[in-house]
Amino acid sequence: MAIRKTAEPQETVDTLRTSAPAQQLVDAPESVPARPYLNTPKKVLPSGISEAEAIERAKDGDGGCFEALYSLHKRRVYSLCLRMTGNTAEAEDLTQEAFLQLYRKIATFRGESAFSTWLHRLAVNVVLMHLRKKGLPEVSLQETLEPTEEDGPKKDIGSQDQVLAGSIDRVNLERAIESLPPGYRIIFVLHDIEGYEHNEIAEMMGCSIGNSKSQLHKARMKLRDLLKVTRVERAASKR
Amino acid sequence: METGQGTAAAHVYSSGRGKQMNCAEFQRDLPLIIDAGGTEQQEEHLRNCEVCRGLVSDLRYIAEQAKLLIPMLEPSPRVWEGIEEKLKREGLVKHVQARRS
Repeated sequence: MAIRKTAEPQETVDTLRTSAPAQQLVDAPESVPARPYLNTPKKVLPSGISEAEAIERAKDGDGGCFEALYSLHKRRVYSLCLRMTGNTAEAEDLTQEAFLQLYRKIATFRGESAFSTWLHRLAVNVVLMHLRKKGLPEVSLQETLEPTEEDGPKKDIGSQDQVLAGSIDRVNLERAIESLPPGYRIIFVLHDIEGYEHNEIAEMMGCSIGNSKSQLHKARMKLRDLLKVTRVERAASKR
Repeated sequence: METGQGTAAAHVYSSGRGKQMNCAEFQRDLPLIIDAGGTEQQEEHLRNCEVCRGLVSDLRYIAEQAKLLIPMLEPSPRVWEGIEEKLKREGLVKHVQARRS
């Protein structure tokens, strides 16, 4: 096996985060997505109007269009909040807060990035602000790339288990992510699920790029441990 | 040639150029290897070490599976009801549609 860089979702995420005017999102199909849910070829709302038009009307205080925007984006925002907090009630409150902030700030949206990208960043900031207020650990500023024994998963020297490939289903992965320590979970969700780059995460969280990379590695190692335990338990229950 | 099985000592491989890398050294650099790719020496270790090959495979598999997680989770109707109520109370909306079931 050659050591190659892990495939990154650069194409889609970068496309979504660059300066495509909002109108283009309505008219032009986006590039081949790394994440299928990011591919919304034509954002036309059930009412028949385009997303861009709904945004303009919502800027003028049209509640109906705002509700249509909510319907279009609620799953992605809620999923982000739930995965970052691991708590349904908190995720609901934060989704509500994110959309309230959206309504108050939508007039400042100039279409310099895709609306979904802009909203998503707003939602991430709402969640991070909430976690800071709660005093939950995000990323230790003292972290280095060297994993520590006490908070990281153990190394794998000399042990040989069956590889995970083919054995993970969505439910088990979601559960394992939910049980990660908050600091690991946040970085994993932002990088591996939501597609943010380490420099973006570092900026949002006020840590170094090295810290972000270190936490991500620990998160993946911890997930591997959790998923292997799940697999063993599942096998035992079948006996 | 080592088989990659048995004790940790068995997981030390010669690069053929007098340099050796063991699993601890390889795994210490793993975050950088996954992110930026490995050196020739690390590549050789990976080719010869089943343990580290399994580890790298698992970490990449986890990252790939995570990308496929779809945001399919639906928030409770309470969320929109709360938003609507607050917007009305603050007088921010011009016209809110009647609640749809």
